[in-house]
Amino acid sequence: MTSATITRPLSFAGAPASAWAFGIRVWLAVVVALASSFWLELEAPSTAALTGAILAAPTRGEALHKATYRLMATWIGVAAAIAITGVFSQARDLLLAAFVGWMGLCVYAAGLTDGNRAYAAVLSGYTVALVAIQQIDTPEHVFETGMARGAAIAVGIAAVALVNDVLTAPDSFPQVASRLAALHRRVRDYARPAPRDEAAEATAAGLLRDIAALHPEMASLATESASGSSRSAAARSAAVALVAEVHAARAMNALRANADPAFREMMAATLEGSGKPSPAAGVIGSPPLAAPAGLLLQAFLRRDAEVREALTALNAGKRPRQAWRSPLYRSQRIAAAAGVRAAACLALPSAFFVLAGWPAADASLSLVVLVIGLGATTPDPKGFTALAFIASPIAAVLAGALEFLILDGVNEFALLALALAPFMIGAAVLITRPNRLLSGLGRLNLIFILAIFAPSNPPSYNAQAFLVTSLFVCVATGLLLVAQILVPTESSERRRRWILASARRDFERVLSRRDRALAPEEAMFRDAARISQIPAAAAGHPDSGAMAEALSLFDRAAAIRLSRESVARLAETSLSSVAAEAREALAAEDTRRLRDVGLALKDAASAESALAEEISGGLMLAAAVIDAARHAAPPAMETAP
Amino acid sequence: MHAFSELVVGDVVVAPFIVYALIALVIFLALRPILHLCGFGKLFSNPAIAELSLYVTILGLLTVVF
Repeated sequence: MTSATITRPLSFAGAPASAWAFGIRVWLAVVVALASSFWLELEAPSTAALTGAILAAPTRGEALHKATYRLMATWIGVAAAIAITGVFSQARDLLLAAFVGWMGLCVYAAGLTDGNRAYAAVLSGYTVALVAIQQIDTPEHVFETGMARGAAIAVGIAAVALVNDVLTAPDSFPQVASRLAALHRRVRDYARPAPRDEAAEATAAGLLRDIAALHPEMASLATESASGSSRSAAARSAAVALVAEVHAARAMNALRANADPAFREMMAATLEGSGKPSPAAGVIGSPPLAAPAGLLLQAFLRRDAEVREALTALNAGKRPRQAWRSPLYRSQRIAAAAGVRAAACLALPSAFFVLAGWPAADASLSLVVLVIGLGATTPDPKGFTALAFIASPIAAVLAGALEFLILDGVNEFALLALALAPFMIGAAVLITRPNRLLSGLGRLNLIFILAIFAPSNPPSYNAQAFLVTSLFVCVATGLLLVAQILVPTESSERRRRWILASARRDFERVLSRRDRALAPEEAMFRDAARISQIPAAAAGHPDSGAMAEALSLFDRAAAIRLSRESVARLAETSLSSVAAEAREALAAEDTRRLRDVGLALKDAASAESALAEEISGGLMLAAAVIDAARHAAPPAMETAP
Repeated sequence: MHAFSELVVGDVVVAPFIVYALIALVIFLALRPILHLCGFGKLFSNPAIAELSLYVTILGLLTVVF
């Protein structure tokens, strides 16, 4: 009898030890940032502490990557603040209007990218609020405030980097590698013969969505260590090869329906086995489907090998043999709509504060901007604001307890550091919870507690200032929530229509060869990123066909691009005229002609016959894939606005 | 004991330490591909601390020598 020992991860009070270690790192980073900024007598020590809290990431690479972007964005934001103040310092309302426009622009830019780049875009926006709007009545201090903020952020970043290095924060790459390996297993499962139903479409869309979702994490691998850029390249190649493998699996599934049972069994045996192509793969009888199907199996296994090779390179920290880029797709229209909406959501509370004429409204407005900015980097900005609305009174109560119950007038830094521990560690442990509500509350509380408490040297313990700040934090999130409810959002249907329209437009470009200069695999990844942006529709919903059409366009575009690339190899040979005909057939998506060209190529007896035969098989395959994809989603589907 | 030269951009005086820290960072980043080729990461049980120590060494050398 054999027994397996399962080593349970060490846990304490319901949270794993790694979560507590993360909490302690965050607390130490905040304390080190505070201590060094007090020692250096910086003007904005609380910004340094806040940097420690904002850069709270469970892995080293992520924290460093975010830190780099935070520094760059602060620089851009301070420059914009100086420019906006310089131009509009005499007219407060115009300054606010210019700022609203700048914030809209930044949210638009954030919509065009993802991960820490999106964060940098919104940070460039709200730095202007923190620097220029807070000094709206004393514009001559904008430069000094900007410098103070930059210095505090640099100190905060140094503290985070030091603490993460010394306390050996885990690396990101093992996590990315294990997620890629899990996706690899899922893609192989997807390729296995199984009774096919509508769920297959959802599975493919889910796979593409999950692969594309790794994009920001793959980018953050680069800052991690000396071999980081190689690891990042390997992870990107693995993800791109995975998307290509999904395409091959989809083509195989589409063809399998028509293949004879013997071939299906052979395919299953090969996929279940070691992953090596079976010797019979290319020579199964029963034309006309067998040759393309055998080739397809080979193509699938080649992709499979590419993924495994890239994963090995990722784990070994080596540059992959085939380095692909992973271009990202973002809808311009959705980003522009988000930018306009953010500007409107900012304009409403701004107008309210201007009309109310309250003192200290600038701090509240800065918070509105901060929540808009951070919300823009999440999939659901309104949900984020609602979360901030819930988190702000909790944070106010906790910050009050910290300042007036626990510390209550002490001056020693050691006591401040100890008193901060439960709040910082508790919030950081909450961040690691799988529940998204708890995790979001943890992150917001970590930031809000420090923002409301605003540690300074010497400490002020001013109850009135605390009450005013707490009130304004709650008012700001409440006002923003009202503004976001009032400003309409585009519906999921409209979003789906926009993305589908762009998919069709890009497909037209593929046909007319006006598409971007990307390798076919890279273009596939971009298409997968587009599919990941399509909001899911319920089954039976009139728009549930959108995903099927997007997947069909993905398959057809990939087949055309791959064939075009292989046909290009014939250009310099005696078969260039056939190659030209093949290109024309591809541009017209004329599958019958494509098959004819394929047959002609096969018959062409020449010195390049081996190459010609391979390409001939490829063309037949493309014809079969295009036919199957067209059959799956008829192009006549109507989704007019 | 040598005098530290201050960098003046416009009318803003930048502390010498900031200049040293930035130059050390640039040197460190330039060294990274070479470290990767040498297999620097495999020499240490904790490459992160080794890299941090290397940065501090470069910074210290810069401060002492220049």
